[in-house]
Amino acid sequence: MTDRLDRWADPPLLVLASLADEPKHGYAITQDVAETMGVRLSAGTLYAVIARLEARGLIEPLESDDRRRPYRITMAGAEALAQQSERMSKVASVARERLSTRLGWAGA
Amino acid sequence: MTGVRAALALYPPSWRARYGDEVLALVEDSGGGPAAVASLVWRALPAWFWPQRHLHDRPARMRASLGTALMSWSMLAGLGLVFAQLTQLQALAPPGHPQIRWAYAVFDLTLAASALIAGLGGLLLWLLMLRRARREQRIRDTVYLFLPVIAPAAYLAGLIVTVRLAGSVSGVSQGWFSVITLAGFAAAATAAAGPGLALRRLQPRGPALRLAATAAGVSAAVMAVATVAIVVAVTSLNLWARQFPGYHDGTLSGIYLALVVTAATVTTVSAARGTRAALVQP
Repeated sequence: MTDRLDRWADPPLLVLASLADEPKHGYAITQDVAETMGVRLSAGTLYAVIARLEARGLIEPLESDDRRRPYRITMAGAEALAQQSERMSKVASVARERLSTRLGWAGA
Repeated sequence: MTGVRAALALYPPSWRARYGDEVLALVEDSGGGPAAVASLVWRALPAWFWPQRHLHDRPARMRASLGTALMSWSMLAGLGLVFAQLTQLQALAPPGHPQIRWAYAVFDLTLAASALIAGLGGLLLWLLMLRRARREQRIRDTVYLFLPVIAPAAYLAGLIVTVRLAGSVSGVSQGWFSVITLAGFAAAATAAAGPGLALRRLQPRGPALRLAATAAGVSAAVMAVATVAIVVAVTSLNLWARQFPGYHDGTLSGIYLALVVTAATVTTVSAARGTRAALVQP
């Protein structure tokens, strides 16, 4: 399901969306993002994003005896994700409407 | 996994300590491969330029900076003393170029001030580490802490004996001068390594560490002025005093100046990072 705009996907948003329902560790995040959003996150990209999101308090690590430490989204992270999702919905709506008007495209 | 471990080695230690095991587990689970290694290598550089604040261990940063700055400062001071020995003490000062004499004066003053500031600023930390090492009977750390006294004293004793045995009315030969100079750098490195090792092993923190890190920053800034004085004097001698031995060819002076500037840069950058960790609120 990957497409030509794959490389411009917003990895922090993908990670936040993946963690929105339940905590996950690194491998589970990459699997979930690949299966549900069609984007493959590399190890370097994923942990650069995790470090950044954790630094900004948008996700937090959970205690774990295993090396596979799970992360969960924080309240601040959930708010940021909700705002961004709203914005993206508007963009998607406008895009669909204009494509429909110009090209007669009816959407997926 | 060797490639992944090698790629992780490119990351800052604090990043590696926090996420290294998780990345290895992820790569084990996902199969890894060259793509994983490439992505880790690609992301390593930004991890240095934009260090994550939540990973920032300020006392560790100050200790690491102090150790590095102390070593590079010692090398810079040694290079400066070679400059003083080769030029200033031989009164190489051609008429019509007062900036050379000015540079000598600035160098003397700033080297002394820099050493004094570093010594006074680090004294409390040194005393506290020494007290702890003695209280906990850590003999090796006690020896490390005394190396800044032992190494120069041993060097001076060796110097006196060497000059008496190998010296003449006109001084020592060029070969012996090289030996004495190299031994001086070895003594300076040993003296600097002692407190650096003690810092790593005893892991002090608190106001004394912050004071030492701040003093190191001020000392390095003053030493930067000494470096400028060295550059001005050596460049001037190359331009206008080619009649003096060693200044008719710019190669040696160029190598010397490159070493001086490198040591000064390492000292300044390292001390500045330690001072920032000491002063900036988390």
